[in-house]
Parts: sequence; structure tokens; C-alpha cells
Amino acid sequence: MSITAGIDVGSTYTKAIVLEGDSVIGMAMKATGFKLTEVSEAMFDAAIADAGISREEVQYTIATGYGRHQCKVKDLAVTDLTAAARGAHFFFPATRTVLDIGGQTMKATKIDESARVKSFRLNDKCAAGTGAFLEKTARYMGFTTEEIGGLMDTSKEHVTISGVCAVFAESEVINHLSQGTSPADIMQGSADSLSARSVQLLKRVKAEPEYTLIGGLLRWPRMVDTIAGQLDAEVNAPAGEMVQYTGAVGAALLGRIRLNKLAEKDAVEQTA
Amino acid sequence: MTTTEQTDGIVGRGNRDGAALFRDWFAELNEVAENGGRAAYVFVMGSLNEVLKTFDLPVVFPEINSLQTAVRRVAHEYLDVAEDAGYSPDICGYVKADFATQIQDGRHPMGRIPKPALTVYTNACNTYIKWAEIWERLHKIPLFTLDVPGTRQGGLITLGGDVDFENDKRYVKAQLLELIELCKKVTGKPFDIDRLREVMGFANTMSRGWKRVLELNAKTPSVFNALTDGTIYLGVANGMRGTPEGAKYFDDLVEEMEYKAANGIGTLTDEKYRLVFVGVPCYPIFRRFNELFTEWGGTFVNSTYLWFASGGTNRGFEYDLADPLDSLAEGLLISVRDAMDSMFHQDRVLNEVIDDFGIDGVVYHPIKSCRTTSTGMADSRRYLMSQRDIPTLFIESDMMDRRVVSEAQLKNRSDAFFEGLAARKAQAGASAPS
Repeated sequence: MSITAGIDVGSTYTKAIVLEGDSVIGMAMKATGFKLTEVSEAMFDAAIADAGISREEVQYTIATGYGRHQCKVKDLAVTDLTAAARGAHFFFPATRTVLDIGGQTMKATKIDESARVKSFRLNDKCAAGTGAFLEKTARYMGFTTEEIGGLMDTSKEHVTISGVCAVFAESEVINHLSQGTSPADIMQGSADSLSARSVQLLKRVKAEPEYTLIGGLLRWPRMVDTIAGQLDAEVNAPAGEMVQYTGAVGAALLGRIRLNKLAEKDAVEQTA
Repeated sequence: MTTTEQTDGIVGRGNRDGAALFRDWFAELNEVAENGGRAAYVFVMGSLNEVLKTFDLPVVFPEINSLQTAVRRVAHEYLDVAEDAGYSPDICGYVKADFATQIQDGRHPMGRIPKPALTVYTNACNTYIKWAEIWERLHKIPLFTLDVPGTRQGGLITLGGDVDFENDKRYVKAQLLELIELCKKVTGKPFDIDRLREVMGFANTMSRGWKRVLELNAKTPSVFNALTDGTIYLGVANGMRGTPEGAKYFDDLVEEMEYKAANGIGTLTDEKYRLVFVGVPCYPIFRRFNELFTEWGGTFVNSTYLWFASGGTNRGFEYDLADPLDSLAEGLLISVRDAMDSMFHQDRVLNEVIDDFGIDGVVYHPIKSCRTTSTGMADSRRYLMSQRDIPTLFIESDMMDRRVVSEAQLKNRSDAFFEGLAARKAQAGASAPS
């Protein structure tokens, strides 16, 4: 059975996956930082160590994400849109729309039954509508990123956050705190605001069900519920950590497809 | 002459000669400026070179001066000067770079730019009018607006014989007579209609050649890259309009492109995808922007920029020299109107280009600092996609301001676009009858 790897060098986290057939046998994740080459190689090594194999046993490696071109251990680079489409299709084969919300970008992609990208829209010009917005909101209130999910879970009454600008968020947060609003409700209000923006993006690609949500922000179940509520539709989200690893899984799957094509080509050449 | 020698002489000549003509042009402008002379300031969408050259007025295209600062990677220095003087970061980058040139005594990377004696512009771009008013304030010069009636209804093109067209033509001609009077006053020279005929004759050769060059790019492989090579040809089409040098250049260029087409000589790109570009180029990273496409085997075989920024001369309208003033009015009306349509109603022509040029994808490039060309582009794209099953890419940057050009974001989008094109081609190949 073939062993392939996918490395997703995202703007905030770098994720690596090792697949043997359809099974995940190794995985690793770390904050990307600013040394993209080093972190991609480190996560590749960590994932194969997790799998208990050596580098030589990995037959094909595909890098994806913003930092994909800086990854030196790859055989090929593909965009995060293509990788995410393949990964989402792997977890939910009836997926027709993928919403990927990461640390710095939000992407809506419409795909066909074979996981090919039909159209896409990106929000990557500012931090509005991305993880950075929620992170800043949390930080202004003295909480860490990892506490965001817990905060949202304890929210009782949503407040309205009118904007999603990460720069102006501070004044709005201060305003709400001065009125005695709880941090949990402010956090949920921010999630509502961000979710509304994601639904706008989905409308722009003329999104169709099934919807699959992926990316770092969707690791909080409350975020998935918020988007589903605003979309007024059932949504999929890969279980557990896989919601963050979907792009890397897609890259590894594309590696397997590429490997098979190369094998077919060799077979044809040998026959000829 | 051997074949190799002939190829060496012809292929690439348009780029070499175009660059040389540009250097000579700016050297002449520098000389005019150093000697305290003045020039006519004009714009690409209806330069009226035909009239101005009749009075031997040197012409300055501030749009070209400004884009040259971006290509030469110093635009930010000029933008900073203008913004320090109070101009907003949000307005046209061309205006700001030109303003900085004006208040720095014409200092420009290609030589000194002379001050204006008058400025002539059309209504094709709304910014032209406010831009010219800056020179009016700075230099106390006369402004001349040529008001060209646009298309009254999308897709409804009137021509000679139509009552609206004839009225519009009379309106344009009356304005041309006013311009001639202004030129006489500014230069102190009499108007010579035979000289006008001569200039218009050179302009005819150039328009005819420009149209032919663009048509030849329908060949596979394409004979020039409409984004990079095309911009060089466009510069000559504007700057040298109505001159013997310009006419010779386009005769030579047609010969080069005919030669390349006949011998199957394409661009340097291994052409896998034929693209059409909509908008104004990204001059701050001009070469690199093109590479985002050529790396994948994408070549721009046509571009709306080559239409509107040549003032619609791509239509190849040729003047009737027997009745020069009447014909000049007709030509300006048809060409400038077409330039406006190429910005505002380009979806109709794109629909034809997709078929005629075998287009695989359409790349829309709205830019932050040009509302005229960018407003409505998203709607045009959506309309085209509703009419045609054609992949499109929508990428935003700027023509001048490197602060709003993000190569990583551009690349992520262009890579995804090509991955989609590749999958589409593979699918089409798989389903094709064997």
C-alpha cells in the first residue's frame, strides 16, 4: 500500500499528515512562525516519526498552503483550494461546497462530484472574517486563543458586534465591557459577525449542499453551529483535529493520485 | 540572406525598435525641457495628436510618464511626494506621480519632462478633467475638453448615415475647429490643412497596422504576448501617432507578426492556455505578474487594455484625406466611443474574442487607483459567466502603488485558476472521442 505525505504550510499553523492507503498513520502540527522552510521540514519529520517510518518510505509528498513554495521536502505544490477540496471530499464524498476559515484567510470553494474546483472566492485582503479577528478580540479581553471555544460555550446572550475589522474591534470590545457585557457574550457576538461574513462569501460562489466546513476556527464546535444556524442548513465538519488537517490530508491524497499516474505512465512506457 | 539572418533581424524587432523610439522620444522631451520649451499634454484615450502634430507641438502623455515610474520601481517616491502635499492614497496613482513630477521641475527617471503649453483631453476618463485642472492651477495654461458622445445604449453602435451619429459628428467637428483656433493662438502658427493630411496619413498607416497586429494574435501559437509585448506596441501607437517613425514602426511590426505567423513562431511561453486580460496592467511588478501566468503555460493573446488605452485605434479606422476635418471628427467619434465601450461594455466584445482567439480563460484585473476601468468589472465578469462556460479569474492589485500589490495573494489565486484549467483540459481530453 502506498505511503504519501501532505504538508499544509498555513499562515498560522503548519500541519503534516502521512497516509498509508486511506489511513492516517502520522500527523504533526505547530505554529508556522516565520521560518517556513524549517517548520515544514520539522513537521514532515515529526509526522513520519509519529507514523514510525523513515523518510525513504514516503513515496510522494505534496505541499500546500501559503508557504508551499518554501517547503523543500515536497515533490509537488498545489494550492490550498485544491487540497482542501480533495480533503473535504475524502471525509464527506457528497461535498459540493467547502468553507475554509483559517488564521488569515477565509475561502469558499464550489467543487464537483470528483472534488475538482469549479469556482472559488477568497477573503485575504484583511483580517476581517478570519481567525485573527477572533484572536484579537480574545486578547483584548485578556484571554488566549485556546480559551475562545470555552468562552463561546458559556455565552448566554449574544451581543451585536457591528463590524469585523480586527483593528477597530478593540474599541467595540471596550464599549461592550464598559456596559457590563460578559466576555463570553462578546466572544459569541464576534463569532456571529464572522459567521455572517462567511455566509456572504458562500453566497458569492452560489454555494450548494453538502457544505463542509474546515480550518482552524472550526475546531470549536460552537463555531460550526453558528455558521450552520446562519446558513440555515446542515453542515459537515471533519471530526476532532481532522478539521484542521483536512488540507494536509487532501494534499496526501493528491500525492497518491499522482503516484498512481506515474506508475501507469511507467507501465505504458515499459509495454511500449 | 540566410533564413537565420532573416529571423534574427525580424523576430523581436518590434520590442527593440519600440524601446529605442521611446528612448528617443524622452530624449527629445528632455531637450525641450532643458531649453525652456513647452509641450501639449494629452491622454491615451483620444490624444488628438493629429491636430497637435500639425502645429509641431511636442506631446507629453502624463499617463505614460507615470506608469514608467512604476515599471522603473520608483513610483512610491512620487506617490509619497503627492501624498505629503495632501493627495489621498485612494485616488489615481497616475495623477499623483504626475503631480510629483510637476512640482519637482519635471524630474523623471527617463529625463526631464517639459511644462505644458496647453492640455487637450477627452471625456473618456472622468479623472482627466480634474487632473488637467491641476495643471491649469500650477501653470496657468488653457485646457481643451473634447466632449465625445458615448454609446447611448449598450450594444447599440451608430455609424455614418444614422441621424444621431451625424449630429454627434457635427458636434465633434465643431469642437475640433475650436481646438485649431486654440493651437493657432498658443503656437502663433497658421493652420496648414495639407500638413494635417500628411499627419493623418501616417496615423492611418498606424491604425491599419495596429488592427492587423492584434488580428494576427488569433494564430496558434500566438505571435506576441498582449500583456508585455503588446504594451510596448501600445506605447508607440500612442506616443508616435501621426509621425513617419510611427508609421514605419507599424509597417515593420506587421511584417514581423506576419512572418512569425507564417513560420509558426510564438512567444517565449510554451503555450498551453490562451488567455485574455481585462483591465490595466500591474506595473509595479510588471514582469513578475506576467510570470504568474507564463509559469503555467498561460499566454495573454488579447487584452482590453490594448483597445481602450490606444483610444480605440485598434478598430483600424482610416481617415478620408480628401475631407480631413470631417473624417477626423468621424474617426474620433468612432474610436473614442469604442475606447469607452472597451472599459464599460467589454463583455460583448469578449464574447466574440473567446471564439475568435480560442480563449481558455479570462483574467479580470481591477485596480485600486483606477475607478474608471475597475468599476463594474465584477458585474461584467458575472454577466460573461452567465453567458459562457468559460473560467475566469478576478485578481486585484494596482497599476502604480506597490503598497496594495500582494504577490502571494495574486499567486494563490492564479495557481488555483490554473489548477482548475488543467483539470478542465484533462476532463475535456478524457471525454474527447478517440
